[in-house]
Amino acid sequence: MSHELSTMNPLKPLRAKVDDVKIEAEGVKTYTLSTEFPFLAEPGQFNMIGYPGVGEAPISLSAIVNDGSFKHTIKSVGRVTDFLKDFKKGDELFFRGPYGRSWPVKKAEKKDVLIIAGGVGLAPLRPVIQIVLKRREAFGEVSLIYGARNEKNMLFMDEFKIWEKDISLYITVDEVSDVSKSPHPPFTKGGRGGINIGLVTDLIDGMKIKPERAIAFVCGPEIMMRFICRGLIMHGMSQSSLYVSLERRMKCGIAQCGHCQHSGLFVCQDGPVFSYKEVCGLPDGVL
Amino acid sequence: MTGERTFQKFKRLISKKAFLLWLDSLKKDYKLIGPRYYRGNQAVFKEVDSSKELFMEYESAMLSPGKLFLYKPQEELFRFTFNETSNPPSPPFSKRGMGGFSSKKITVDEIKPDMAKQVIVGVHPCDVNAILYLDRTFLGAFKDPHYEARRKNTLIISLNCTHVGGNCFCSSVGAGPFLHSVGGYDVLLTDFESEYLVEIKSREAEELFGLEGRGAGRDEMRFKAEKEKAMQGKFRKTLNVSGLDNIFAENMEHPVWQQTAEEKCLSCSNCVMVCPTCFCYDLRDEMSMNLKTVTRYRCFDACLDIRFAEVHGGNFRQSRAARLRQFVAHKLDQTNQYGVFGTVGCGRCITWCPTGIDLTEIAEELRTKN
Repeated sequence: MSHELSTMNPLKPLRAKVDDVKIEAEGVKTYTLSTEFPFLAEPGQFNMIGYPGVGEAPISLSAIVNDGSFKHTIKSVGRVTDFLKDFKKGDELFFRGPYGRSWPVKKAEKKDVLIIAGGVGLAPLRPVIQIVLKRREAFGEVSLIYGARNEKNMLFMDEFKIWEKDISLYITVDEVSDVSKSPHPPFTKGGRGGINIGLVTDLIDGMKIKPERAIAFVCGPEIMMRFICRGLIMHGMSQSSLYVSLERRMKCGIAQCGHCQHSGLFVCQDGPVFSYKEVCGLPDGVL
Repeated sequence: MTGERTFQKFKRLISKKAFLLWLDSLKKDYKLIGPRYYRGNQAVFKEVDSSKELFMEYESAMLSPGKLFLYKPQEELFRFTFNETSNPPSPPFSKRGMGGFSSKKITVDEIKPDMAKQVIVGVHPCDVNAILYLDRTFLGAFKDPHYEARRKNTLIISLNCTHVGGNCFCSSVGAGPFLHSVGGYDVLLTDFESEYLVEIKSREAEELFGLEGRGAGRDEMRFKAEKEKAMQGKFRKTLNVSGLDNIFAENMEHPVWQQTAEEKCLSCSNCVMVCPTCFCYDLRDEMSMNLKTVTRYRCFDACLDIRFAEVHGGNFRQSRAARLRQFVAHKLDQTNQYGVFGTVGCGRCITWCPTGIDLTEIAEELRTKN
């Protein structure tokens, strides 16, 4: 007796066309992609992006999916991302996804939302910002607290002006570099007193947070998320109202290859978005 | 066979000779795979031409049948072909070619799963439990078509153990020496000297099995239980599993990790390669010499490898101690993953560690010296 197979290979990559490429910051570009297949994703999910002969890398979606068109904001740092940096409009690449657990946006409704990002960590949070702007009345006070090394490493600066009409922006850099060499027009006002110099955690220390009605979505280097979460807990927030998005090495995205395992959790499947309560204090992480 | 819950179809006593002849009769439709003598008490699972080649009294095999014949050490998944005008990536990758990157000009071929039917005979209870563990990885929310095809086309004939190896501790984790799992295999054999007690567990096996033999009743089952009890008494290695999760959680920084990593562990990954439940893999792309095709294949990977958890800007398990701890904790802790222990107590990682690292000793050290 022969047995029927139930599935096609979930690792099979699909084609996507590059409809637009936009320079966001030093070494960072946003690719607008479309595919012939129906594509839907939740904010915080990711795709495996790749090319034959180069490999695949997990990249978060950096915008809400609009009629099948989706965006990835990619910093060129590794084998795959460095290869992608030369892609132009009209080129085609391969992807598969979306994978993973999304930001609990529903849970944030009627609450004060703290969106806290560091560096390219803003990319996975931009879909959340877009949802907030679309349905502003569904949420309480919304603040974006964003830090980057300097303004040359800051993403989506041209959108800040639109964002700050509806949400409070707190911007900080570690240092100010030569503004004239920035790919963006120099920006003078980051909201709430313009650009700050210092750590994101310093901004948070000075904020007024109503812990019982606040929810925080945090994405950035793990060491930064550690101190942000601890800072927010000092403000009285509970571990389960803090959400973080983790980065791990991934090969499959479908809880098989084992690379992203974090104390029995598969970051690709059980995350990448976790409540801080789920991942705080686990070994081989710094949260 | 998989998916079907096993229940007792029937049980009979069959002479070993008759049973082996029945195995040979399967050869017209199935590849016959079983333990072949290697040396000492060691066997190697291999395809055999005749049941005469089988070494059913083996004590252990270095590689488990599940990770040889169901989940393969290396497997081709896709083939990408760059047609005339497309632009294959060539190192350095950043150099953009003339034609742009067009995936339309790349043909993607999915390698079809191997649907050959096979029967694996003589699988010890630990290795059946290991296959059930691999099922959780490869037949979960996302099904791997290659694994699924082979699993569905494989008849598993398990054999209760007659020897206890020096590093076996399956009895401590309920994975042996006799098989008690509820499903996922087809036939269970117990050695009754000149006969096998044959317990048919799946519909497919029931349809295939034509031997009458003697029906086995209460006396035979009592005899089987006595044999199991006698075997239980032979274990020299044990693992105390009570409260292991707490012991691990409280001892993540215990000196045993650092000490074992510094004094013994070579990060050679032998433990991972011989482990019947280690499922981790790497996906690799290999470009043909004429730059026309790329083969994307999967191969075993190991958490002991320094690049395993490396990301841009850092490595979550940079230290060897952290990598060793990940391996041991994945076997003895982290039951949140699948609800069962990652170890089946086969002891292979102990046997094949070139420096004699023993995870049961590590667990004991965590328990007693914290």
